[in-house]
Amino acid sequence: MATKQVRYEALVKALHGDLYRYGYWLTHDKQVAEDLVQETFLRAWRALDSLKDEKAAKSWLITILRRENARRFERKRFDMSEYEEASIMDTESTSTEQTIENQWLRDKIAQLPPEYSEPLVLQVLGGYSGEDIASMLNLNKNTVMTRLFRARNQLKDALEKEPEKMRFTHE
Amino acid sequence: MNDNTRSDSAMLDNKMDDLQFRRSIFADPKSQDSDILAAQHADPAKKQLAHELCQFDEKLKQAMKVPVPDDLCHKLLLRQTLASHQQEKRKSRIHLALAASVAIVAGLVVNYLQFSNSYTNVGDYALAHVYHEQDIFSNDDNTRVSLTSLNQKMTTFNGSFSESMGELISADYCRFDGMKSLHLVFKGVTDVVTVFIVPKEEHLTFTDKFSDEKLRGESLGFKDANILVVADKNESLAKWQQTISRNISWSI
Repeated sequence: MATKQVRYEALVKALHGDLYRYGYWLTHDKQVAEDLVQETFLRAWRALDSLKDEKAAKSWLITILRRENARRFERKRFDMSEYEEASIMDTESTSTEQTIENQWLRDKIAQLPPEYSEPLVLQVLGGYSGEDIASMLNLNKNTVMTRLFRARNQLKDALEKEPEKMRFTHE
Repeated sequence: MNDNTRSDSAMLDNKMDDLQFRRSIFADPKSQDSDILAAQHADPAKKQLAHELCQFDEKLKQAMKVPVPDDLCHKLLLRQTLASHQQEKRKSRIHLALAASVAIVAGLVVNYLQFSNSYTNVGDYALAHVYHEQDIFSNDDNTRVSLTSLNQKMTTFNGSFSESMGELISADYCRFDGMKSLHLVFKGVTDVVTVFIVPKEEHLTFTDKFSDEKLRGESLGFKDANILVVADKNESLAKWQQTISRNISWSI
């Protein structure tokens, strides 16, 4: 019992941040992301004995979180295109160049179609390879690589259409 | 991609063309694929693009790192603690039930062992009983039990003795292999003579005569009870049996 508790606490401490961010980019909503993470860890606790390899913990948790997110859609259909840009605005107003740039990029990432942003978040934030992402999302690797290409291509295009941002992203 | 239309397709056979490189490096700027590394090495512009994209990725990463709520970690741990507390409560109820079951079974086993019929016939049990109590009574004991109090005890068995059969040292109820019996100890020639009045029961086989190297015993069967006499070899059991048979009367 005690060792299960210890394992669980270690998982929470090490991975709740990554998981919350992943949930955030999946849902574009802080509150929903938080709920998803709570639900995910609750399920993880119940199924903790089935986790044999600690190295696989993160992708295991991400899989649970994606499933929870899918359930949420079953419960309550809501249209992704309806999200308000304002809802993803970070209200921290320390207007350093870095935060302005981050905010601008966040908006652009959020505007990507979800099928592009999801593999991009997994690659950039999660550090997963194309193969890992393909197996996590049940896609073939070529599809994943194409989506990653398009995701970066769109972001770069957006950057070039707004030249005033260039100074942040190109030194 | 159709390399055949290109005039320099032969030259590009073992090199990546720009579009292919662009697609690959945009899909994975940190790619360690040997073709991609070779292409970067051969063309500074490609290397520059790869470098630029790696920097861009770094910026993306910073942007993606949205602030995590400070209390999220604590909330997660608290929720789990509450959830597993519920589980614990359920478990402890199960444990309690298990403990109760074990206690009941233990009780039954003890009961069974204590009152089980480990002797199959009257004689064996009678001998064991006498040996068990041989240190309690001795021929030199001065206590005497009167005929009246003996007969009072005999009412349980619906019997009575008409006159005293000898010097009665002790008369007490006892448990004779689980049955309530009367245990009489008389003064004998060399050692005490033990007389049991035992209700008739089916689980002990009636044995007429029994003995071991030291003691002998005889049983007399009556309607409701058996009377057993156990004594050492100096005692005439037949005489005791006669005296008992002559003296005892059974009410209905």
